[in-house]
Parts: sequence; structure tokens; C-alpha cells
Amino acid sequence: MSSHALTPARRPTGEILFALLFVSVGAAGLLTAGSIPIPPSETGIGPRAFPYIVCIMLVLVGTGIVVQVLRGKVGQAEEGEDLDVTAKTDWAALAKLVGFVVLHIFLIEPAGWPVAAAVLFTGSAWTLEAKPLWKAALVSVIMALVLQYVFGGLLGVSLPPGPLLEGVPFFHG
Amino acid sequence: MLLLEGFTTALQPVYLLYALGGVFVGTAVGVLPGIGPAMTVALLMPITYALDPAAALIVFAGIYYGGMYGGSTTSILLNTPGESSSIVTALEGNKMAKAGRGAAALATAAIGSFIAGTIATVLLSFLAPVVAELAVGLGPVDYVALMVVAFLTVGALLGASVLRGLASLALGLFIGLIGIDDSTAQQRFTFDNPNLVDGIDMVLVAVGLFALGEALYVASKLRHGPVEVIPVSKGKNAWLSKEDWQRSWKPWLRGTFIGFPIGTVPAGGADVSTFLSYAAERRLAKGPRKAQFGRGAIEGVAGPEAANNAAAAGVLVPLLTLGIPTTATAAMMLTAFQRYQIQPGPLLFENQGALVWTLIASLYVGNLMLLVLNLPLVGLWVKILQIPRPYLYAGILVFAALGAFSVNFSPSDVGVLLVVGVLGYFMRRYGYPVAPMVVAMILGPMFEVQLRRSLQLSQNDPTALLSTPFAVVVYATMALIFLGSWWLRRRQAALEATTEKESVSV
Repeated sequence: MSSHALTPARRPTGEILFALLFVSVGAAGLLTAGSIPIPPSETGIGPRAFPYIVCIMLVLVGTGIVVQVLRGKVGQAEEGEDLDVTAKTDWAALAKLVGFVVLHIFLIEPAGWPVAAAVLFTGSAWTLEAKPLWKAALVSVIMALVLQYVFGGLLGVSLPPGPLLEGVPFFHG
Repeated sequence: MLLLEGFTTALQPVYLLYALGGVFVGTAVGVLPGIGPAMTVALLMPITYALDPAAALIVFAGIYYGGMYGGSTTSILLNTPGESSSIVTALEGNKMAKAGRGAAALATAAIGSFIAGTIATVLLSFLAPVVAELAVGLGPVDYVALMVVAFLTVGALLGASVLRGLASLALGLFIGLIGIDDSTAQQRFTFDNPNLVDGIDMVLVAVGLFALGEALYVASKLRHGPVEVIPVSKGKNAWLSKEDWQRSWKPWLRGTFIGFPIGTVPAGGADVSTFLSYAAERRLAKGPRKAQFGRGAIEGVAGPEAANNAAAAGVLVPLLTLGIPTTATAAMMLTAFQRYQIQPGPLLFENQGALVWTLIASLYVGNLMLLVLNLPLVGLWVKILQIPRPYLYAGILVFAALGAFSVNFSPSDVGVLLVVGVLGYFMRRYGYPVAPMVVAMILGPMFEVQLRRSLQLSQNDPTALLSTPFAVVVYATMALIFLGSWWLRRRQAALEATTEKESVSV
């Protein structure tokens, strides 16, 4: 919409790097597509043709975007209801959120899904400045237990309850 | 009649409960800001994992329509509207709400959606079997043509930047290539990693792009402070007056007949139809009503809302009869179907007739439920809108992680989700649309199979791709659509320019 005027001017380095990501995925694909084995019985265009087409497309389109950006035609960042488009990107919040997802991944099996989910929720709410923190922690515990009960118990989705809740029958599928 | 059989299944008390649950959850999640219909379906996929196919489809039908409804409530009542298919509703609806006519705006949206949804579902019931019968005669060459159109419209037509849309499309095609080749059983781009042999699951990509990517993006620029919801006035005057009914019914019908055809062809589904309907209402309005546009004209809510829902039903025609998703939401529905070994396409009505008709019957049921549920529950939706944002986005993260984990119960899938989520973040940041990637990922493998089949039949003669009259017609139509969309785009830009000018001068 009318974001041209609103978006603060920024250096397009990141945008160029992101477009180069498409180019490099395409280039890597082009280099490796040749090693896809073709069975001797193949009479059509074979399993390599479509990968070549897609990778060439990636390289061409990515290059095209780089050229566009260098000429000053930068992308329009998406808008949304909860976005403050004039705000600066909060890289610290992003890093924290990514970190909490990683922590969640490593907690699921040893500590059980409810614990992992509660940690992810509390951590994310803290990152996004939920106040007071104890309330977020309380909400997270209740939510994790309810989800575990609904999905693990009622809907039969086998989420691991973890050592803490192992003995509670209604948390299992 | 088969539809009646569908109704006898859909009207069983248990299935009615599932339908009710589906529309309720669908609306509740759809109301949440930043969550569009595609994300609603993607996020809610795990709740159906343990259900039988009929129940799952009924829940999905409810979620699909409910998600559409929910979005309009958001754009009318929230000060900062966002989702693309409801932006038009926001133009007038938001102004109406600010003028104390929020209840009337919600009512005309809900009734219009109901009428349009019902008429469009009737059209779907009659049209789909006919199209399926015709589609049985289509060969691989014809499918190639149809899918080329779907790719180009989704990738090139619908975003602000053609190149970025195509980049998103190509990346989706690439991810779709990873894994075992359907035709020759050879591994492609797996780099000898056993986790990649089965390919990357569609649910991981969709939830990662829509849910995680969106949550990260919002978190990076979160609007802090209290959430401003426009209060909905109560009382007799707030409800639709006689004049409102008179002004609304024609836009409802016009919206329906604009939305449904646009939904059935791969021309962008809901977004395009709402803009067209809005433009039509604006042009048809006369005298003082014309002057009201931009300040809260009820026609500008009634028409686009009807068009939005009619298009949602229209999208199901190519999805059910050809197996071709033309929007991201449809791609998510297709993924859900495939989980239950249901392959939409011309044979669907023959092989799974009972199931399809149950789905269609539950669309009628769900639509009625939405009308009954929506207006009395406005207070609840307002509460949902007011959820503190840290909780909302923390909750989305937990649900996304739950959805990813429950695909195979493997924590490493959550890792894939995270990688895709970070990708989704940067795509939003740099203005790449995510929908083409999702559609391409699901359509790509099907496209390749049909392309190779057609070339094999003709001994690799590429001109064979133009060998059937149907394909030629499709390519010719595509050229026309491109010309038409170029024209539409200019009109849309002009429309936006004028509404902006007006809102400045008000």
C-alpha cells in the first residue's frame, strides 16, 4: 500500500545477500543435479531435467532481484495489525526467540513436551516484554498442561509427557 | 441424491459437534490479528490427526469458512487492519465502527458472508460434478497447461513484485524436488542425509512460513502498548436498519457473482475478488451514497465480504475436481486431504463420493452455524482481539512447535520448522510473498509427473505440449488473464490512490 513513504531508508546489503541466497541455492543445485542417477530404462526427459529448470530459474530470478535492488527498487516489507512499521528491527528479540525454540527442541525428549512448551511460552512472553513475568509463567504452565491433556489424552496425539508427569494416566494417548 | 446422503452423514449429532468445534476454533483463530485463513488451517492441522477422515474433513470445512469470517471481524474492529483478503473490508468497515456503526458493519459482513457462502456452495454442488466429469477426459498435456497457469498466477500476478513472487515460487519448487523422484525412485538433492529421503514435509514448511515466520517478523517490530479495539455499540439503533438492508442486499448478490467465478479460475482467489467487488460498488453508488465511500459506506463492507466468501467456495472447485490448489489456503486443504489418503481430482467424486458429499454438506452446515454463532459472540471475539500481544505470539510459537513435532514426533522436525521460520522472516522483511512457495511446493511434484508423462508419450517432442485444443485454449486464456490483470492492477493502484487522497482530506 502506501509504505513507500513510511519505510525508513535502509541500506540494501541484507536484501542483496538474501537474493544471493536464491542464486546460490540454484547454483548448488545446478552443480549437483548432474549426479542424479538416470535409470537405463528411462525414455523421457528423466529425473534431471526438472531440477535443471528449477535451478536455472532460481539463479535467473535471484540475479534479477539483485539488479533491481542495486537500481534502487527495494522490496516492500510486509505490513500487519501488530506491527510498528517505523520501529527499528529488534534483533535481540529475534535472537532470543530463536534461542528459545532451540531450547524447546532439546527439552522435548529429556524433560517432556509440557515442560518444553512451558519454557518456550514463558521465554517468548518474556522476550516480548510480558508483564508481570510470574503471570506469564503461570499461564504457560496451565496452557502446557491443558494442551498435553487435550492432545495427548483426548485427541490421541502422542506427546511425550516426560519424567515429571509419567505417572499421570490422563496425559497419555 | 448424493448430496442428501452427505447431509445424513453431516447431520449426525457427533459430526454436528465436530462441525461446531471446527467453525468455533476456526473463527477464534481467524480473529487473531496477523493470522490469515491459510495459517489458521496450517496451525489447526494437528487437532485432526487422530480423527476419522469424515470427521477431519468436517472440521476442516468449518475451519476454512470460520477462518474467513474471523478475518473480517478483525479488520472491522481493530484500528490497524492487515490481512490482504480483508483489507477492503477494513476500508469502509473500520470507518463504520469508528462512527459507532460497528455492529451494523459486523452484521452486514456476517449476513453477506452467509448468503454468499450458501449460494456459492449451491453453485459448487452443481458445478463440481460436471467439471469432474469433463476433467476425466483430460490428459497429461492438459494438466501441464492448467498447472502452468496456476504457477504463473500465484507466483507472478499476486504480489507487489513479480520477480520476488517467482523467486518464492522457484524456492518452493526446489524444496518440492528434495527426496525421492516419483517416476524413477532416484534420490534428488538429499545429500545422503537419511532425513531428507522422504522429502521435507509440507506441514513443516507451511507452519514455518506462516506461523513461525509471522511471529518472528511481528516480534522484530512489535507495536507495544495497549491494543486498541473499537468498541461495538449496543442497542436498537446499532443493528441493521431497514435502510441498511436495502443498501446491502444488492451488494451481497453482486459480490457473490463476482467472487465465485474468480475463485474457480486460478486468478488469485479472495484478494482480487474483494477489490473488484469494492470497485463495482463504488462505481454503482449514486449521489450522497457515493460520497460516503471512504467514510464508512455499508455497500463497501457488504459487497467485498460476500465476494470473499463466495471466492472461498469457488476455490474448492479446481481443488476438488482437478486436485489443483490455486491459493495457499487451498494448498493447505490439499495437504490435509492427502494425510487421509484422499487424492482430489476427477476421480474423487467416483472413488470417495460419500466423503466429498459429506464435506460439501458440512459446508452448508458450517455456514449456517457461523451466522448463528457470530453475531451473539461478538463480545467473545472482542476479548480474543484484546489478548496481550506477548501471550498471543508466544502462544503461536508453542502451537507451531506442537504442529511440527506432531507430524512425526521427532524433535528434529521442529529444527526444520525453525529454519523455515527464519526464512519466512526474511521473506516478509524483504517483501517476498510466501504463498507462492507453499503452492509451488505442493504443485511442483504433480507438475513434473504430468510434464514427464506428456513428453514421454510424444517421444520428447516439446510441441506436444500444445497438441490438444484444451491446452491451446488454456494458454490463450492465460495470455488474456495477464493482460486483464495488468489492467486490474492499474485500476487497483488508482483506487488506492484516490482512497488515500480522500482519507487525507477528510
